[in-house]
Amino acid sequence: MTNCSPTAGTARTPLEHLIGPARTQRLESAPPPGDAIVLEDLAKTYPDGTAAVRGISFRVAAGESFGILGPNGAGKSTTIGMLGTLVRPTTGRASVGGFDVLAEPTEVRRRIGFAMQQAGVDDFATPKELMVLQGRLHGLRKHEAAARAELLLGIMELAEEADRRLATLSGGTKRRVDLAASLMHLPPVLFLDEPTEGLDPRSRSGIWDTLDRLRSRLGVTLVLTTHYMEEGDRLCERVAIIDRGTVVAEGAPAALKATVAEDATLEDVYLHYTGRAFEDTRVAA
Amino acid sequence: MNAQSQVLLLAQRALVQFPRNPILLGFSVMPVLIMYLVFGGLFEGVAELPGFPTDNYFEYLAPTAILLATVPGIGNAGVALATDFQNGYFHKLLTTPTSVGAVMLGRLLGDCVRLAVQAGLVLLLAIALGAEVATGVPGALLMIVMGTLLGIVTFGAISANLAIRTRDAAAVQAIQPMAFLLIFLTSAYQSADHIDSGVLRTIIELNPAEHVLRPMRELMLSGYDWAGIGIGFLAIVLLGVVALPLTARNYRSAYS
Repeated sequence: MTNCSPTAGTARTPLEHLIGPARTQRLESAPPPGDAIVLEDLAKTYPDGTAAVRGISFRVAAGESFGILGPNGAGKSTTIGMLGTLVRPTTGRASVGGFDVLAEPTEVRRRIGFAMQQAGVDDFATPKELMVLQGRLHGLRKHEAAARAELLLGIMELAEEADRRLATLSGGTKRRVDLAASLMHLPPVLFLDEPTEGLDPRSRSGIWDTLDRLRSRLGVTLVLTTHYMEEGDRLCERVAIIDRGTVVAEGAPAALKATVAEDATLEDVYLHYTGRAFEDTRVAA
Repeated sequence: MNAQSQVLLLAQRALVQFPRNPILLGFSVMPVLIMYLVFGGLFEGVAELPGFPTDNYFEYLAPTAILLATVPGIGNAGVALATDFQNGYFHKLLTTPTSVGAVMLGRLLGDCVRLAVQAGLVLLLAIALGAEVATGVPGALLMIVMGTLLGIVTFGAISANLAIRTRDAAAVQAIQPMAFLLIFLTSAYQSADHIDSGVLRTIIELNPAEHVLRPMRELMLSGYDWAGIGIGFLAIVLLGVVALPLTARNYRSAYS
């Protein structure tokens, strides 16, 4: 097992290089207490009258991995968009890291990484350039941003693609670059909107492995949306199943399934709470 | 990081992005250079008309070529902005502590530099073809500044707003030929005195681009017409007063 303590004479781990020995120790000892994210009756009605989210409440503990699950059109992306300050809530309130998303969006943005549903990358840039710019917009100095980009590219197994144009990379690789760029400022909270949507099983598996590594090595609070129930089951400690803009069930996947049947799946949980079959494409193994 | 630094970083990004797209690069400079050469050659005889302000038609045409580089040329910035929307990068930027204003100004600054370089290239070609700038380097720089600013407040604003509203690069590209109308409906190729149609002369007189082109031509052919330069800048400011707040408002609507 790797010793990450700052002992003199021992080589630093990539994580120590990235965030320093003190934070590494803190991460490896205990997750910070308290709620990282709080939603209270959060709602969004778009100007055309579409009520995408109709009063959602839940809390996500610091260091927790939380999934927002539901079919397409359930309100998942709008919810995560409101948390990420990309969508303005109509009513209710939400805070991230103790900062209100509406009143203090800049403070929220300093504390979050956001990997977009559609990999938010500039096709004419290289992964390294994209990441350095992202880091610099978060206030890192040029050399800090460059060094951190190198390390993250290594952690995400993107070193070989670092200097290739993003336009030439596959969809799965772009997603990983987007994810890496979202981590440049080492945010305590990471939002992922449909992180594996449209990817082939191999790329999807690659993203899952990457997320596992991130959770174990960086200890970030992870909030992801997905319409792949098995993805939520695989990656999340707790999930909220939403349907037509409201939360219909919330809890640990195992506990939710246990409320339905011994061998139930999250699709069965969805059926149980909504009375309708979950029709979205099942994730390939 | 302060807002100015963010603007500079984003301007740098816009500048680096542009030459990496050979189609955008080629189509924003080459057609202008070709038009300049073709129209200059075709209408060379116009310079022999009595009362024409110069005997070198390429000299007369040089300010027009600058506007052809800047006004339709800025449309590519709208295409790039729409592409940022389409691939999600615009919203990625909005998840950083960068303000929408800095995103807009960064692109604007990058485009200003690009347009100025394009206009400079056109002017160098004119000089290579025997044209002389009567007011020298300061006058040449002033022409480039006026042409760049006119591009920003006219077609720059139109294409940016269309990009934000439609988020469709093809839609922005489709309106680009309209930019040529703004220039063709001026005294670009023929002095207004030599145009017979009264209707056309009225349209030209009402076209703000004409009031920018005239002092630019004076800078090229004779000297500093300060009254004309003042009117040119006034036209730019008036257009900017309408166009820039509208564009800023649309940029902010990206956060809805």
